[in-house]
Formats: sequence, C-alpha cells, structure tokens
Amino acid sequence: MIGTKLRITLGATALAMLAACGNVDSEQGSIPGLIAQAVRQTAAQEKRDEVTATVDPGEMAATALRVNPGPLILVGLESRNTTQVLAMVGENAGQRTYMTKNEQALILRDGMLVGTRGLGHDLSVAELAASSSLIRSGQSGQTKRVMRYWTGDGLESPLRLDCTVGAGPKPGVILESCENGPLKIQNNYIVQGGRVTVSRQWIGPNLGYATIQELRP
Amino acid sequence: MRAHSPLTRRLLASTLPVALLLGPGAGPALADPLIGANLNTRGLPGAIDTPTAEMMPDATLGATLSYSDLARRNTLVFQALPRLSVSLSYGRFDSLEESRGYVWDRSFDLRYQFLDEDPTGWRPAVAIGLQDFMGTGFYSAEYLVATKTITPRLRVSAGLGWGRLAQDGGIGSPFGDRPGPDEEEGGKPNIDQWFKGEMAPFVNATWQATDKLVLTAEYSGDKYACETGQAEDCARAVWVSDSDELKNRINLGVNYAFGDNYQIGGYLLGGQQLGVQFSVAMNARQAPYPSGIEPAPAPVRPRASPSADPEGWSGAWSADPTAQPAIQKALSDALDKEGQVLESMALSGNRAEVRIRNHRYMQHAEAVGRTARLMTRALPPSVETLVITTSADGLPTSSVTLRRSDVERLENTEASQIANAARITDAEPRPGDLTYSEGLFPRFRWALKPYLSTSLFDPDEPFRYEVGAAASAEYEFVPGLVLEGTVRQRFFGSTEQEAPGGLSPEEYDARDHDYDENGVPRVRSDGRMYSANKSPTIPRMTLSWYAKPSDTVYTRFTGGLLERAYAGVSTEILWYPTNSPLAVGAELNRVRKRDFRDVFGFRDYEVTTGHVSAYYRFDNGIMTQLDVGQYLAGDVGATLTIEREFANGWRIGAWASKTDLSAEEYGEGSFDKGVSISIPLGWGTGSPSLRRVGGDIRSLSRDGGSKLRVGGRLYDRVRDSQADKLYQGWGRFWR
Repeated sequence: MIGTKLRITLGATALAMLAACGNVDSEQGSIPGLIAQAVRQTAAQEKRDEVTATVDPGEMAATALRVNPGPLILVGLESRNTTQVLAMVGENAGQRTYMTKNEQALILRDGMLVGTRGLGHDLSVAELAASSSLIRSGQSGQTKRVMRYWTGDGLESPLRLDCTVGAGPKPGVILESCENGPLKIQNNYIVQGGRVTVSRQWIGPNLGYATIQELRP
Repeated sequence: MRAHSPLTRRLLASTLPVALLLGPGAGPALADPLIGANLNTRGLPGAIDTPTAEMMPDATLGATLSYSDLARRNTLVFQALPRLSVSLSYGRFDSLEESRGYVWDRSFDLRYQFLDEDPTGWRPAVAIGLQDFMGTGFYSAEYLVATKTITPRLRVSAGLGWGRLAQDGGIGSPFGDRPGPDEEEGGKPNIDQWFKGEMAPFVNATWQATDKLVLTAEYSGDKYACETGQAEDCARAVWVSDSDELKNRINLGVNYAFGDNYQIGGYLLGGQQLGVQFSVAMNARQAPYPSGIEPAPAPVRPRASPSADPEGWSGAWSADPTAQPAIQKALSDALDKEGQVLESMALSGNRAEVRIRNHRYMQHAEAVGRTARLMTRALPPSVETLVITTSADGLPTSSVTLRRSDVERLENTEASQIANAARITDAEPRPGDLTYSEGLFPRFRWALKPYLSTSLFDPDEPFRYEVGAAASAEYEFVPGLVLEGTVRQRFFGSTEQEAPGGLSPEEYDARDHDYDENGVPRVRSDGRMYSANKSPTIPRMTLSWYAKPSDTVYTRFTGGLLERAYAGVSTEILWYPTNSPLAVGAELNRVRKRDFRDVFGFRDYEVTTGHVSAYYRFDNGIMTQLDVGQYLAGDVGATLTIEREFANGWRIGAWASKTDLSAEEYGEGSFDKGVSISIPLGWGTGSPSLRRVGGDIRSLSRDGGSKLRVGGRLYDRVRDSQADKLYQGWGRFWR
C-alpha cells in the first residue's frame, strides 16, 4: 500500500470557525460555536460560583425568604465551594423538586436527597426507603441503599451501599455510615417533625457532600 | 409487542463496579480481562516493540505517535470488545526504492485475549495477535504471548513470535516455511504467511515505578534488519536502508503518564537508536460530564383529585374547539425551550398524541422523557394515555405509549420501571386526527457560515486546508418534502486542483473520456479535480420527498445535484419495523458525473448504481450492514460494515467492499475499506447536542467499490428513534 492517499474529512467537511448567522436552531449550530457556548457556560458558572461564595448565606437566605413565598432550601456544595438557595418547583407524592435560578435541581423526599439534575455528575435516583424510615423515626439498624448515576456511556448504573444508621456523638444528630469496598461515606441528619431539616448528605463520587438546610417547609 | 427480557437484561446488566465510579487506578474487577496501561510502539499494550497479553479498558480509543530514526508511526487503536483490540497504523520509513526516499505504509493489527489471568493462582493471561496482517506486510508478525502479574507493580510477559518478531533468535519453523511477501497490489489478508517460518521467543517486563512512571525492558526478536541493511534477514529486499545495526536485542523504555489521558515516553533500541513516543487515550465510558450539564427538566405535575377538578376529569373540555389550539400552543412553546419541535398533535378526552422532532438530545429517550413530563403539565386531567411519536424530520418512526398515572407514579425511579410500563410501536403514518402546529409549515431555514475543510495524511503534503463561506437554505413545504441547497465560496487555502495519472488539471479536463489505463472509469480517483475552485460551487442542491407509505415502510426520492461529483435521481425504500433488529432496504440511482468547474455542467459519464441492503443490530450495540449491488464504476459487489454504537452515541466502525474489479484494475489496496469514527460533541462538552465530530479514514483515490454520497439515507435518518436504540439509551428517560 505504498503511498496510499488517505484523507480524514472532518464532520461534514465544513467546520465553521467564526460567527455564523441564520435562523437554524442553535442546536444545529456550528461545532466551534457550541464549544464556545459550553466554555462560556462553564465560565459563567464559575463566575456565579465565585459571586455566591462571597455572599453571606444568611443574607442570601433572608432575601430569598422575602421574595419567594414557597418552600425553600439552602444548599452548600462542598466540592464546588458554593451555597445557593433552591425553590420548590414541583411536588409529586412526597417527592419535592427544588431548583436554582439557572435550573439545576435537587430532589428530596422528606428531606432525604434522592436525586440531582444539571450538575454534570448527577445522581439519577437514590433508593433509600429503609434508611429513610430508620433515620426519620430515630431508630438504629442496618440497611442498604442503592444510588444510581448516569455514566459516561449513556447508561444508568447503580452503586450499592451497606449502611448503618444510629445516633451520633452530638445529641440530636443521626449518622448513616455506608460502604462498598474501599468507598466509605457518612451522612448526618437532624430530624424534626418526621422529616430531615438539616443534613450533610453524599451525592456521589464526583460531587461529594452537600449540606442541605430547610429554610421554609 | 414488548421487548422486556432483552431490555431488562440490558438495563440491569450495567451494574457499575465501585472502582469505575472512583476513577481509574482502583483496579478492575476480577472477571475482567487483564488491563495494561503501557502502550508499545505499535500503539497496543506492551513494552517497546514486543506485545503483552494485556487489553485496554473496553471502548478505549487511543492514538500513538512514535518516532525514531528507523520509523515514524501514527497509530489509532480501539478496544472493540473487552477482549479484542484493533489498530490501524500509518507509518513512514526510509526506502531507497521510492523516488521521494520514503514510504508511507498502512497496517492493521489485531489482538485477542483468550485466557484470563488467575490473580491468585499461577495462570497468566494469554493472547494471540496478528500484526500488519494485510497487504504489503512490511511489519507483518504473529505472536502468542502470556502475561503474569508478579507484584502489583511488576508484570512479566513471555511469548513466541513469527515474522518480524523472529528476525533473530529463531528456534525453528514448526509450521513450515514462510512464503515471500505480497508484491502485488496488497490489501488482502496474508493468510498463507501467518505463523509460518522461523519462530523466536521474546520476553518483557513492565514495572510501574510510581503512579506516573513506568519502566520497561524487553528481549525482542525484531532487530530492524530491513532498516539497517541486513538484507539476509529482511523479508523485503527492496527496503534496505543504511542506518546503524542495533548492538543487541535488548530494548529499554520509560513512559510517563500525565493528566488522565496522556503518556509521553522514550526508548532505546538495542543500545543504538533512540525513540520518543506520545499517546493519548479516551474512553467512550468516561465523559467529562457523564450526566450532561443541561438544565433540569420540569418535574411531573400530578393531577388534582377528581373532586377538586370535576370538570377537567369529565373530559367535557374536549368539546370546546378552543381547547386544543391553546394546549397545543402552550406545549409547543414549552417543547421549543427543550430543543424540540411539536410538529403535530391529536387530542381527545382521554388520549393525546404528540409528534415531536428532537433537535437536542443524542439519547432520544431523554427527549421522550422530557416530553412526557411536559405533557403532564399541559394536559387536562382526563387525558390518561400519552403517545409520544418521533418525527425523524418528517418521517414518523416510533410511538412511545405511556399511561399518565405511570409517569406520575414512577417519576425519578430506576429507568427500567418506566421502560417496562411503556409500549413502543410503529408510528402510524397518517392518523386522521392530527393537527399541525400553527405556522410551522412551510418551514424555511437558512444559515451563512464560514467553513474550514481539511485533508490529512497526503504523503506529499500531510495537511491541506481550505477556508471559505457557505450559505445553506432549506425549505420544507410539508413534513418530508424538502428543497435544500448549499453554495460555497473559497477564500483561501492550500488545497489545489490535481489530476490523476500524472496529468495536469488542464490536460485531464481536456481529455474526451474519464477512464484510466485499465479501462476503469475514474469515478473517485479524480476527486481532486473538484478541489480549489475559485468561483462559487454548489456541493449539493436537491429536492427530496420522504414518506412512510405503511407502518413499517419508508421511502425517499431525491433529485438534483446529489453530491459534489454526481447529479441525478436517487430513490430508496426501507422496511424497518420498530421492534425488529433487522431492516431491509433497496436503493436505485441514475446519476451523471458533474463538471469539475462548471456548477451546472456535466462530464460524459453516466451510470446506474444501487444496492440491496440488510441491516442487523445485535443486543450489545453491534450493528452490521451488508450492501449488495452495482457501484459507481459499474462494478458489481458487496460492502460489509460493522459498527459498535454506544448508548451515548459513540460510533466506531469499519467497512470493506469487494467488487468484480480485479486487484490490478482496482490498484493499490485491492479493494475499498476504511474505518469510521463518530463522537457526539455533547459527550465532550456536556451540553446536549445532536452534533458529531469524526470522520472516515479511507483511501479516497480509488474507483472500485465507490458509492454515491447522497444525503438523507433512510436507515441513518430513522435509526436513532427506533425501539432498540430508544431502549439502549433509555437510562436517560428521567434526565
């Protein structure tokens, strides 16, 4: 195969580079345009993160309580060093969806984290009914929970954890310690009126822990 | 109608080991094949020149650039199956035979690990491999190799090599003499040579000195006889060069990993020749943002109780003629924000069907899931049956039927639950009660964009480019009837108009025929005659009509300037029941070759070309396609395509065509073959999009086995929303 001429054609041979115009949906825009958009989104995200980090959470909560009449939670994402107020946008059979202004969501059931949306490494669903009933009734015991994630291959994949629920060293704080092989996590909960009102819960391997505080039930 | 058992299996089979979630380095599960991180000069796991029995993690796509005085090699490697690695190399070495003084040679390698390592016992992993097993076979070798993990940081391999791996140190020829190399047109598997001739042992060790640093040493039978002028040990006498002989058969190497994806290294061959190497690898399973960063979907809105909304539950609202337009408008607006077009809608007291065009989500199930949730927010409570039909740009493909109470009950649960409650059926072509969304048709869209086109790997000039502007417009009269075209104007670039056969473009253009010296029509080998046109060109301008005459049959008619080099008419029919893994189609085209420069002019070559095609998708995402028919040069034959497609939209495939042209008539390579890679842009950026990057690696310059490049082929148009593909990506229903 001496001197065979090979050629790679990129995309549809046309790769737009600069600004483009037209009425075609942005979904079908140029590849570099979409990459630029993604970079801008990430940059905007970081900027937002910086801004929120400098705002006092107490002040943020007070403002949110003033302008929004519905249920609110205050969420800190430790791995990203951010704190944001999320407002409830839907409730379906005890499952509450809270969203930020830029449409990232946390899904809670009785204050227990059962899903996230729009964070890039989202928890699709956490199956934790057994843990939840122990924690909310103040009992101790052994349970299992399954946490399902979207993985890079486009599938939903489960992570199974064996958990121990019991009272922690601080009065009123319930601990849930879970493990699977080398992975060990620990969630903390404060329960009031049969639901979790303040907690530190593990989302997943990439996102780490979130602190969740109920501002208005 | 349900595909439960394979579906559930597929959805449940994806149990993820903790190790994968925690990132690389945590070690694979026991049942997996032995994974190696160090890549050798052929781009596969190994030491320096010798192989190991290791594999890369399944679905890894990598590239290696290796450079020494004796050879330069660029390799693309893919872990096609957990136990099967394939690679395509493109190497350059000095040769006195070529006037330009060097040769660029393509080669394919395969490695199969057929025995697992027993981590607790003595059994090593064992693999068999073929190196440069087709065509000219400059590097052809075969090997059997065993690899054993001695300590967590040290692995030792030993094996037997034939061919190039046995240039020195041979211990006999157990399977007979090795015949001479293929001196003809190449491109065919050299089965007669495999495992023939001298056999020589090799050993190597890879030591993971630190997490980043790997040291390797090997004893290799490849002494670079051809490159160093030792004609007696070189299978091809034509290839002698005058580099210094290696002093011994020990090679030493070092490799440093940085980031998650890169390796850089150096090696010393036989105490004489230094080389450097750079590798990059990515894995279809490891995306920067595995769940995507698109906004959260609007949640399900549960219905008020019948006592709270007796009117809504009674269905009496459906008698109001203003109800449907208002609901359709609201739903259409909401879907528009989701990157979907509500093409049409049918609404009755207890059933609603929407026909959507998904313009955003690579995994179609995500579009369906979001639409279902929006329907719960827009529809009155008496509507219990939700039907979401995909319109593949005007072709209704599959209908997902859901009970609204299931959507309410199963919101944000494991995806297989809603999959088991859903029913996927063939979309009815024309139900009478559908109403088009107002103002949607006729639909006119246009765009004016700059473009950059590049061509790589030309031996004379490895990189060429062209920059210009392209204006495209599309006018859709009714769904499926589309007039579209593109006009391009080059501004500048390094591409040139070139003629085949050593002629100048003017001489070639002036000839009265387009046949080569063997009498084969030049249907593609003069493709560069179309390049570098300084006046405006129209790469494509067509009128197309897509239709669905029955529940399972799709048709296409396309006429006009079909592609850069051909104009004419193209017709196609495809039978594809949505729940069937098998689809069968036929295509018939009558085309005439276009003029190299004159936009609406023609050359004196006309041909009828067409194929009968069978498509089959296996459960594991492997798609095969067989086309049998007459190609552009009038040659008759078949093309086999094999492709692995992941739920996230990654597609890696290869194809080969063999026609009744003889190898001599065909020329170098003997028959048409190539590799295609297509990676969704959203996989890399996290932002959902249907855009893809990638392309075909093929020999462009040949005429045999060439197909017409008409746009809008039916299988490609409808495949993403058929049941098997929907189910494959179903995990994102609640995303």
